[in-house]
Amino acid sequence: MQEFNEIEALWAKHTVEVKISADEMLKQAKKEVNSLRVKSLLNIAGMAISFFTVTAIWLFLSFQSWTTYLGISIVIAAVGVYTVILYNNYRIIAKNDFTVNPNQFINQLKRYQVSRMALHNRLYWFYTTALSLGMGLYFIEVLENFEVWQKIFALVLSFGWIILCSTILRKAIIKKDKEKITLLIEKLERIGKQFIKSNE
Amino acid sequence: MDQKDILFKEIFDKNSKKIFHLCYGYTGDHDAANDLLQETFLKVWQNLDKFRNKSLISTWIYRIAVNTCLTYLRSEKKQAKDELTDNIIETKVEEHSEKNEQVAMLYQSIAKLEENDRLIITMVLDELPYAEIAEISGISEGNLRVKIHRIKQKLTELYNHHARI
Repeated sequence: MQEFNEIEALWAKHTVEVKISADEMLKQAKKEVNSLRVKSLLNIAGMAISFFTVTAIWLFLSFQSWTTYLGISIVIAAVGVYTVILYNNYRIIAKNDFTVNPNQFINQLKRYQVSRMALHNRLYWFYTTALSLGMGLYFIEVLENFEVWQKIFALVLSFGWIILCSTILRKAIIKKDKEKITLLIEKLERIGKQFIKSNE
Repeated sequence: MDQKDILFKEIFDKNSKKIFHLCYGYTGDHDAANDLLQETFLKVWQNLDKFRNKSLISTWIYRIAVNTCLTYLRSEKKQAKDELTDNIIETKVEEHSEKNEQVAMLYQSIAKLEENDRLIITMVLDELPYAEIAEISGISEGNLRVKIHRIKQKLTELYNHHARI
Protein backbone atom coordinates (compact mmCIF):
# COMPACT_ATOMS: atom_id res chain seq x y z
CA MET A 1 0.00 0.00 0.00
CA GLN A 2 1.59 3.27 -1.14
CA GLU A 3 0.99 6.76 0.19
CA PHE A 4 0.84 9.91 -1.94
CA ASN A 5 4.32 11.04 -0.87
CA GLU A 6 5.74 7.82 -2.34
CA ILE A 7 3.97 8.60 -5.61
CA GLU A 8 5.51 12.08 -5.49
CA ALA A 9 8.96 10.58 -4.95
CA LEU A 10 8.47 8.20 -7.86
CA TRP A 11 7.40 11.09 -10.08
CA ALA A 12 10.36 13.23 -9.07
CA LYS A 13 12.80 10.45 -9.99
CA HIS A 14 11.37 9.72 -13.44
CA THR A 15 12.67 11.44 -16.55
CA VAL A 16 11.08 11.90 -19.95
CA GLU A 17 12.64 12.31 -23.32
CA VAL A 18 11.46 15.27 -25.38
CA LYS A 19 12.01 14.20 -28.96
CA ILE A 20 12.30 17.66 -30.45
CA SER A 21 15.10 20.20 -29.85
CA ALA A 22 14.69 23.95 -29.37
CA ASP A 23 16.20 24.58 -32.82
CA GLU A 24 13.88 22.15 -34.58
CA MET A 25 10.89 23.57 -32.71
CA LEU A 26 11.81 27.13 -33.71
CA LYS A 27 12.21 26.08 -37.34
CA GLN A 28 8.89 24.25 -37.31
CA ALA A 29 7.04 27.10 -35.56
CA LYS A 30 8.24 29.62 -38.12
CA LYS A 31 7.35 27.32 -41.00
CA GLU A 32 3.85 26.57 -39.71
CA VAL A 33 3.01 30.17 -38.86
CA ASN A 34 4.07 31.23 -42.35
CA SER A 35 2.15 28.43 -44.05
CA LEU A 36 -1.01 29.29 -42.08
CA ARG A 37 -0.69 32.92 -43.08
CA VAL A 38 -0.01 32.05 -46.72
CA LYS A 39 -2.91 29.59 -46.84
CA SER A 40 -5.48 32.04 -45.52
CA LEU A 41 -4.09 34.85 -47.65
CA LEU A 42 -4.26 32.66 -50.76
CA ASN A 43 -7.83 31.77 -49.91
CA ILE A 44 -8.83 35.42 -49.58
CA ALA A 45 -6.72 36.45 -52.59
CA GLY A 46 -8.40 33.77 -54.76
CA MET A 47 -11.82 35.14 -53.88
CA ALA A 48 -10.66 38.73 -54.41
CA ILE A 49 -9.33 37.82 -57.88
CA SER A 50 -12.69 36.24 -58.78
CA PHE A 51 -14.42 39.38 -57.53
CA PHE A 52 -12.30 41.70 -59.69
CA THR A 53 -12.50 39.42 -62.74
CA VAL A 54 -16.29 39.29 -62.67
CA THR A 55 -16.42 43.04 -62.00
CA ALA A 56 -14.17 43.59 -65.04
CA ILE A 57 -16.56 41.53 -67.19
CA TRP A 58 -19.41 43.75 -65.99
CA LEU A 59 -17.47 46.95 -66.74
CA PHE A 60 -15.60 46.17 -69.95
CA LEU A 61 -17.81 43.79 -71.92
CA SER A 62 -21.03 45.02 -73.42
CA PHE A 63 -24.19 43.00 -73.28
CA GLN A 64 -27.58 43.57 -74.83
CA SER A 65 -29.86 42.29 -72.14
CA TRP A 66 -30.39 43.70 -68.64
CA THR A 67 -30.69 40.14 -67.32
CA THR A 68 -26.99 39.58 -68.10
CA TYR A 69 -26.00 42.63 -66.04
CA LEU A 70 -28.30 41.55 -63.26
CA GLY A 71 -26.81 38.03 -63.33
CA ILE A 72 -23.24 39.34 -63.16
CA SER A 73 -24.20 41.77 -60.38
CA ILE A 74 -25.65 38.92 -58.32
CA VAL A 75 -22.46 36.87 -58.79
CA ILE A 76 -20.32 39.91 -57.82
CA ALA A 77 -22.42 40.46 -54.69
CA ALA A 78 -22.22 36.77 -53.70
CA VAL A 79 -18.46 36.58 -54.21
CA GLY A 80 -17.98 39.92 -52.42
CA VAL A 81 -20.05 38.91 -49.39
CA TYR A 82 -18.32 35.50 -49.27
CA THR A 83 -14.89 37.18 -49.33
CA VAL A 84 -15.84 39.49 -46.45
CA ILE A 85 -17.24 36.54 -44.43
CA LEU A 86 -14.09 34.54 -45.17
CA TYR A 87 -11.98 37.42 -43.86
CA ASN A 88 -14.16 37.79 -40.75
CA ASN A 89 -13.92 34.05 -40.14
CA TYR A 90 -10.16 34.29 -40.33
CA ARG A 91 -10.28 37.07 -37.74
CA ILE A 92 -12.54 35.00 -35.45
CA ILE A 93 -10.09 32.09 -35.59
CA ALA A 94 -7.26 34.48 -34.82
CA LYS A 95 -9.28 35.77 -31.83
CA ASN A 96 -9.45 32.31 -30.22
CA ASP A 97 -7.16 33.18 -27.39
CA PHE A 98 -5.27 30.24 -25.91
CA THR A 99 -3.68 32.56 -23.35
CA VAL A 100 -6.89 33.21 -21.37
CA ASN A 101 -7.89 30.98 -18.46
CA PRO A 102 -9.55 27.62 -19.31
CA ASN A 103 -13.06 28.67 -18.17
CA GLN A 104 -13.07 31.74 -20.38
CA PHE A 105 -11.42 29.81 -23.18
CA ILE A 106 -14.03 27.04 -23.10
CA ASN A 107 -16.93 29.54 -23.21
CA GLN A 108 -15.29 31.49 -26.00
CA LEU A 109 -14.68 28.32 -27.98
CA LYS A 110 -18.23 27.01 -27.52
CA ARG A 111 -19.68 30.27 -28.80
CA TYR A 112 -17.33 30.21 -31.75
CA GLN A 113 -18.10 26.60 -32.69
CA VAL A 114 -21.87 27.14 -32.56
CA SER A 115 -21.74 30.33 -34.62
CA ARG A 116 -19.46 28.66 -37.16
CA MET A 117 -21.84 25.76 -37.59
CA ALA A 118 -24.80 28.13 -38.13
CA LEU A 119 -22.80 30.30 -40.48
CA HIS A 120 -21.57 27.35 -42.48
CA ASN A 121 -25.13 26.18 -43.26
CA ARG A 122 -26.75 29.57 -43.85
CA LEU A 123 -23.87 30.95 -45.84
CA TYR A 124 -23.68 27.95 -48.14
CA TRP A 125 -27.30 28.17 -49.29
CA PHE A 126 -27.09 31.91 -49.78
CA TYR A 127 -23.95 31.52 -51.85
CA THR A 128 -25.21 28.60 -54.00
CA THR A 129 -28.62 30.18 -54.64
CA ALA A 130 -27.08 33.52 -55.59
CA LEU A 131 -24.48 31.87 -57.82
CA SER A 132 -27.05 29.67 -59.61
CA LEU A 133 -29.43 32.58 -60.11
CA GLY A 134 -26.64 34.86 -61.34
CA MET A 135 -25.28 32.27 -63.75
CA GLY A 136 -28.75 31.38 -64.99
CA LEU A 137 -29.46 35.02 -65.85
CA TYR A 138 -26.02 35.42 -67.41
CA PHE A 139 -26.45 32.36 -69.64
CA ILE A 140 -29.77 33.59 -71.13
CA GLU A 141 -27.92 36.06 -73.38
CA VAL A 142 -24.45 34.59 -73.51
CA LEU A 143 -25.52 31.15 -74.70
CA GLU A 144 -28.09 32.48 -77.14
CA ASN A 145 -25.95 32.07 -80.27
CA PHE A 146 -24.21 28.87 -79.24
CA GLU A 147 -24.85 25.45 -80.74
CA VAL A 148 -27.24 23.24 -78.81
CA TRP A 149 -24.48 20.86 -77.72
CA GLN A 150 -22.37 23.80 -76.53
CA LYS A 151 -25.30 25.12 -74.52
CA ILE A 152 -25.87 21.72 -72.97
CA PHE A 153 -22.16 21.31 -72.26
CA ALA A 154 -21.91 24.73 -70.56
CA LEU A 155 -25.05 24.16 -68.50
CA VAL A 156 -24.15 20.62 -67.48
CA LEU A 157 -20.62 21.66 -66.53
CA SER A 158 -21.67 24.74 -64.51
CA PHE A 159 -24.73 23.40 -62.76
CA GLY A 160 -23.26 19.90 -62.47
CA TRP A 161 -20.44 21.37 -60.44
CA ILE A 162 -22.87 23.31 -58.23
CA ILE A 163 -24.99 20.18 -57.71
CA LEU A 164 -21.91 18.11 -56.90
CA CYS A 165 -20.80 20.71 -54.33
CA SER A 166 -24.32 20.95 -52.82
CA THR A 167 -24.78 17.20 -52.49
CA ILE A 168 -21.81 14.84 -52.16
CA LEU A 169 -19.07 17.34 -51.24
CA ARG A 170 -21.27 19.43 -48.97
CA LYS A 171 -22.63 16.40 -47.13
CA ALA A 172 -19.14 15.02 -46.60
CA ILE A 173 -17.77 18.34 -45.33
CA ILE A 174 -20.76 18.99 -43.05
CA LYS A 175 -20.62 15.44 -41.66
CA LYS A 176 -16.94 15.73 -40.86
CA ASP A 177 -17.35 19.21 -39.41
CA LYS A 178 -20.43 18.24 -37.40
CA GLU A 179 -18.77 15.18 -35.88
CA LYS A 180 -15.72 17.19 -34.91
CA ILE A 181 -17.71 20.10 -33.50
CA THR A 182 -20.18 17.85 -31.63
CA LEU A 183 -17.33 15.89 -30.11
CA LEU A 184 -15.55 19.07 -29.07
CA ILE A 185 -18.68 20.69 -27.61
CA GLU A 186 -19.55 17.48 -25.70
CA LYS A 187 -16.05 17.35 -24.35
CA LEU A 188 -15.96 21.03 -23.44
CA GLU A 189 -19.30 20.75 -21.65
CA ARG A 190 -18.04 17.76 -19.68
CA ILE A 191 -14.84 19.61 -18.76
CA GLY A 192 -16.86 22.77 -18.06
CA LYS A 193 -18.82 20.76 -15.44
CA GLN A 194 -15.53 19.73 -13.83
CA PHE A 195 -14.64 23.42 -13.45
CA ILE A 196 -18.06 24.20 -11.97
CA LYS A 197 -17.59 21.35 -9.45
CA SER A 198 -14.23 22.89 -8.51
CA ASN A 199 -15.83 26.21 -7.75
CA GLU A 200 -18.63 24.77 -5.59
CA MET B 1 19.22 35.19 -34.79
CA ASP B 2 16.87 37.90 -33.45
CA GLN B 3 15.77 38.57 -29.89
CA LYS B 4 12.47 36.69 -30.29
CA ASP B 5 14.25 33.54 -31.51
CA ILE B 6 16.67 33.60 -28.58
CA LEU B 7 13.85 34.15 -26.10
CA PHE B 8 11.81 31.32 -27.64
CA LYS B 9 14.67 28.85 -27.46
CA GLU B 10 15.34 29.80 -23.87
CA ILE B 11 11.66 29.32 -23.01
CA PHE B 12 11.55 25.96 -24.79
CA ASP B 13 14.66 24.61 -23.05
CA LYS B 14 13.37 25.73 -19.66
CA ASN B 15 9.77 24.53 -19.94
CA SER B 16 9.50 21.73 -22.49
CA LYS B 17 9.99 18.85 -20.04
CA LYS B 18 7.31 20.05 -17.64
CA ILE B 19 4.90 20.77 -20.48
CA PHE B 20 5.59 17.29 -21.84
CA HIS B 21 4.72 15.84 -18.40
CA LEU B 22 1.44 17.74 -18.49
CA CYS B 23 0.59 16.51 -22.00
CA TYR B 24 1.68 12.94 -21.24
CA GLY B 25 -0.33 12.92 -18.02
CA TYR B 26 -3.34 14.22 -19.92
CA THR B 27 -3.24 11.84 -22.90
CA GLY B 28 -1.39 8.84 -21.46
CA ASP B 29 0.15 8.49 -24.90
CA HIS B 30 3.76 9.36 -25.75
CA ASP B 31 3.17 10.34 -29.41
CA ALA B 32 0.05 12.36 -28.65
CA ALA B 33 1.97 14.13 -25.88
CA ASN B 34 4.69 15.05 -28.36
CA ASP B 35 2.10 16.43 -30.78
CA LEU B 36 0.50 18.48 -28.01
CA LEU B 37 3.89 19.76 -26.87
CA GLN B 38 4.65 20.98 -30.37
CA GLU B 39 1.20 22.53 -30.76
CA THR B 40 1.64 24.34 -27.45
CA PHE B 41 4.99 25.83 -28.40
CA LEU B 42 3.67 26.76 -31.81
CA LYS B 43 1.03 28.84 -30.01
CA VAL B 44 3.69 30.24 -27.69
CA TRP B 45 5.62 31.42 -30.75
CA GLN B 46 2.47 32.88 -32.32
CA ASN B 47 1.49 34.74 -29.14
CA LEU B 48 4.88 35.67 -27.76
CA ASP B 49 4.37 39.35 -28.62
CA LYS B 50 1.16 39.30 -26.53
CA PHE B 51 2.96 38.29 -23.35
CA ARG B 52 3.03 41.34 -21.08
CA ASN B 53 4.83 40.10 -17.97
CA LYS B 54 1.59 40.29 -15.96
CA SER B 55 2.28 36.76 -14.78
CA LEU B 56 5.25 34.42 -14.87
CA ILE B 57 6.10 33.23 -18.35
CA SER B 58 5.81 29.62 -17.10
CA THR B 59 2.24 30.32 -15.91
CA TRP B 60 1.41 31.77 -19.30
CA ILE B 61 2.86 28.75 -21.14
CA TYR B 62 1.08 26.31 -18.84
CA ARG B 63 -2.20 28.07 -19.56
CA ILE B 64 -1.64 27.68 -23.30
CA ALA B 65 -0.76 24.01 -22.77
CA VAL B 66 -3.86 23.40 -20.62
CA ASN B 67 -6.13 24.96 -23.26
CA THR B 68 -4.37 23.02 -26.00
CA CYS B 69 -4.92 19.78 -24.08
CA LEU B 70 -8.58 20.60 -23.43
CA THR B 71 -9.27 21.03 -27.14
CA TYR B 72 -7.30 17.94 -28.10
CA LEU B 73 -9.54 15.44 -29.86
CA ARG B 74 -8.48 11.85 -30.27
CA SER B 75 -9.11 10.61 -33.77
CA GLU B 76 -10.48 7.09 -34.19
CA LYS B 77 -7.01 5.95 -35.18
CA LYS B 78 -5.56 7.38 -32.00
CA GLN B 79 -8.35 5.88 -29.91
CA ALA B 80 -7.67 2.46 -31.37
CA LYS B 81 -4.01 2.99 -30.65
CA ASP B 82 -4.89 4.08 -27.16
CA GLU B 83 -6.63 0.78 -26.51
CA LEU B 84 -3.39 -0.89 -27.43
CA THR B 85 -1.36 1.38 -25.18
CA ASP B 86 -2.08 -0.71 -22.07
CA ASN B 87 -0.76 -3.78 -23.82
CA ILE B 88 2.25 -1.93 -25.12
CA ILE B 89 3.06 -0.66 -21.65
CA GLU B 90 2.66 -4.13 -20.22
CA THR B 91 4.94 -5.63 -22.88
CA LYS B 92 7.51 -2.90 -22.51
CA VAL B 93 7.72 -3.11 -18.76
CA GLU B 94 8.86 -6.68 -18.92
CA GLU B 95 12.02 -5.37 -20.51
CA HIS B 96 12.33 -2.47 -18.11
CA SER B 97 13.13 -2.02 -14.49
CA GLU B 98 10.65 -2.13 -11.66
CA LYS B 99 10.79 1.64 -11.44
CA ASN B 100 9.72 2.04 -15.05
CA GLU B 101 6.87 -0.34 -14.41
CA GLN B 102 5.75 1.81 -11.51
CA VAL B 103 5.99 4.97 -13.62
CA ALA B 104 3.90 3.36 -16.38
CA MET B 105 1.36 2.37 -13.75
CA LEU B 106 1.32 5.92 -12.42
CA TYR B 107 0.58 7.34 -15.89
CA GLN B 108 -2.17 4.75 -16.31
CA SER B 109 -3.67 5.83 -12.99
CA ILE B 110 -3.50 9.51 -13.93
CA ALA B 111 -5.24 8.68 -17.22
CA LYS B 112 -8.19 7.30 -15.21
CA LEU B 113 -8.86 10.69 -13.55
CA GLU B 114 -11.20 13.35 -14.97
CA GLU B 115 -9.58 15.59 -17.61
CA ASN B 116 -9.33 18.65 -15.40
CA ASP B 117 -7.97 16.59 -12.50
CA ARG B 118 -5.28 15.07 -14.71
CA LEU B 119 -3.96 18.50 -15.54
CA ILE B 120 -4.04 19.71 -11.94
CA ILE B 121 -2.33 16.66 -10.45
CA THR B 122 0.44 16.76 -13.06
CA MET B 123 1.18 20.33 -12.04
CA VAL B 124 1.10 19.33 -8.35
CA LEU B 125 3.53 16.49 -9.01
CA ASP B 126 5.80 18.90 -10.87
CA GLU B 127 5.79 21.02 -7.70
CA LEU B 128 4.19 24.15 -9.09
CA PRO B 129 3.11 26.51 -6.31
CA TYR B 130 -0.63 26.32 -5.56
CA ALA B 131 -1.04 30.02 -6.37
CA GLU B 132 0.36 29.38 -9.84
CA ILE B 133 -1.85 26.32 -10.43
CA ALA B 134 -4.87 28.38 -9.34
CA GLU B 135 -3.93 31.12 -11.80
CA ILE B 136 -3.38 28.65 -14.65
CA SER B 137 -6.61 26.73 -14.11
CA GLY B 138 -8.80 29.74 -13.25
CA ILE B 139 -9.91 28.22 -9.93
CA SER B 140 -9.73 30.07 -6.60
CA GLU B 141 -6.86 28.95 -4.36
CA GLY B 142 -9.22 27.84 -1.59
CA ASN B 143 -11.22 25.61 -3.92
CA LEU B 144 -8.07 24.34 -5.49
CA ARG B 145 -6.69 23.12 -2.14
CA VAL B 146 -9.88 21.12 -1.51
CA LYS B 147 -9.80 19.76 -5.02
CA ILE B 148 -6.13 18.77 -4.82
CA HIS B 149 -6.77 16.93 -1.57
CA ARG B 150 -9.52 14.89 -3.29
CA ILE B 151 -7.41 14.21 -6.39
CA LYS B 152 -4.47 13.01 -4.29
CA GLN B 153 -6.72 10.55 -2.48
CA LYS B 154 -8.27 9.35 -5.74
CA LEU B 155 -4.89 8.95 -7.44
CA THR B 156 -3.44 7.01 -4.50
CA GLU B 157 -6.47 4.70 -4.58
CA LEU B 158 -6.17 4.16 -8.33
CA TYR B 159 -2.44 3.56 -8.10
CA ASN B 160 -2.78 1.04 -5.30
CA HIS B 161 -5.60 -0.66 -7.19
CA HIS B 162 -3.34 -0.99 -10.26
CA ALA B 163 -0.50 -2.25 -8.10
CA ARG B 164 -2.67 -5.00 -6.64
CA ILE B 165 -3.69 -6.30 -10.10
